[in-house]
Amino acid sequence: MFRRFFRHIKEGFFGVFRHLGMALSSASAVMITLILIGLFLIVTLNLYDMTKTIEDSISISVLIEKGDEDSHETIEEQILKIDGVKSVTYRTPEEEFDYYLETQGSDELRTFYEEYRDDNPFRGNILVEVESGSQMAYVKEEIMKIANVDEVADGGANTYTLLDMLDSIRLFGGILVAALCLLAIYLVYNTIKITIASRADEIWIMRNVGAKNGYVRAPFLVEGIIIGFLGAIIPMILAVVVYYYIYGEMNGSLFGAFYLIEPMPFALYIAGILGLTGIVVGFIGSYVSVCKYLRLKR
Amino acid sequence: MISIRDVSKTYKNGTHALYNINLEIQDREFVYIVGSTGSGKSTLIKILNGEEIPTSGEVMVNGTNVGKLRFGKVPLYRRGIGVVFQDYRLLPRRTVFENVAYALEVVDAKKKDIRVRVREVLKLVDLEDKATSFPDELSGGQQQRVAIARAIANKPKILIADEPTGNLDPKKSDEIIQLLEKINKEEETTILIVTHDTQIVRHHPKRMVMIESGHIVADLNKGAKI
Repeated sequence: MFRRFFRHIKEGFFGVFRHLGMALSSASAVMITLILIGLFLIVTLNLYDMTKTIEDSISISVLIEKGDEDSHETIEEQILKIDGVKSVTYRTPEEEFDYYLETQGSDELRTFYEEYRDDNPFRGNILVEVESGSQMAYVKEEIMKIANVDEVADGGANTYTLLDMLDSIRLFGGILVAALCLLAIYLVYNTIKITIASRADEIWIMRNVGAKNGYVRAPFLVEGIIIGFLGAIIPMILAVVVYYYIYGEMNGSLFGAFYLIEPMPFALYIAGILGLTGIVVGFIGSYVSVCKYLRLKR
Repeated sequence: MISIRDVSKTYKNGTHALYNINLEIQDREFVYIVGSTGSGKSTLIKILNGEEIPTSGEVMVNGTNVGKLRFGKVPLYRRGIGVVFQDYRLLPRRTVFENVAYALEVVDAKKKDIRVRVREVLKLVDLEDKATSFPDELSGGQQQRVAIARAIANKPKILIADEPTGNLDPKKSDEIIQLLEKINKEEETTILIVTHDTQIVRHHPKRMVMIESGHIVADLNKGAKI
């Protein structure tokens, strides 16, 4: 069992060295694809993170009329019945006051405001989280119909457009990464196909002396994995180095408004994903290729 | 034992290769299958080797119905049959020893057993001193002997040789047939030689089955040992 396992590994490495030129050309094709995948992954995941932050921070503020704070539970129940509402959180006027104090920069201001605690100007606030940006307008409209609601505040129409736009970019990035993965699989598939054709004699001999299909397949799979991983090495290094560099150059933020994901451990994850993608892509490409070949011949 | 009953083969492109063939070959027999190019002898070999399935009829080899063999079972079936070809088909980047050992590695033999068996068959084919040579350092006759050594390494019950002397001069051809006779005797292997070389049949008379245009036209039992 082990003997065979190591033999397949050994044969796989031999295969790569025996067709070094071909293996390297295929690995470099995989490399280019993986670099693109890495790039799109970094952009897409950062966008995803940004939109998540934005979406999480955007909630509808439902302010309750002064003196009607006790009705917050009834209002919450009504809000929860509206389609698209994810959750509601109630903050008492006191909590709102505390929150306001927390957001003040200087201690001096905080002490000054503290004096007004007994004369709290804040209203009870129900923070409503919506499932997606596109539903915000509708939810806001519905809330305004509820009794005892004094004021409903959100980020305005521009927020919706931005959220929808980011959503599309996110989706587009995802599709692109998937398409690039398919491309990489195809590249490995083609190389292994050529390798197999150039080794038809060897396969013929293997099968004629009674090698099982799995035995014939195994070295090619190892070879595919090696090619995939070879192609992943440079993209992995690039992912870490380049992301650190960009993060440093941009001071960790985009236009000063959006924060980039911290490079540690994010860049390592990306490198890991790229390595794994290389291996999986190499495996699938060679598997499809060798299975197709073996099926043609009895 | 090989038993071929009412076997016909028509390829997908419409070529009729075999018509109602009937043939029985006992264990340890030595048989020539003689016919011109396109007579159907190659198809017969492919059927025996599990590469092709007969269109009709039944082929039984060592108790296995070859026509009903499932795809996944073909490799195990082939371990019972050794095949040698006119063009030797050795792995050029491996030594003689490695070429023969290859057949044993494939069936998961132990390293020690491989070493012992390879030495044994190389001795049988008289190539012990060439174990570390590469195929291109050998003559045609020697390469064919390596191919024979590889084919019998797994101790198959049947050895099929498809034009084994096709690329060799008469003297070398003679040596190869002598070697196959020796294997037939010492290893008790059934030998099937497909050939159109009447010279070797004349010099080493055995049972001879003649195929022409997909039909068996004669089955001469001259000199056969059963």
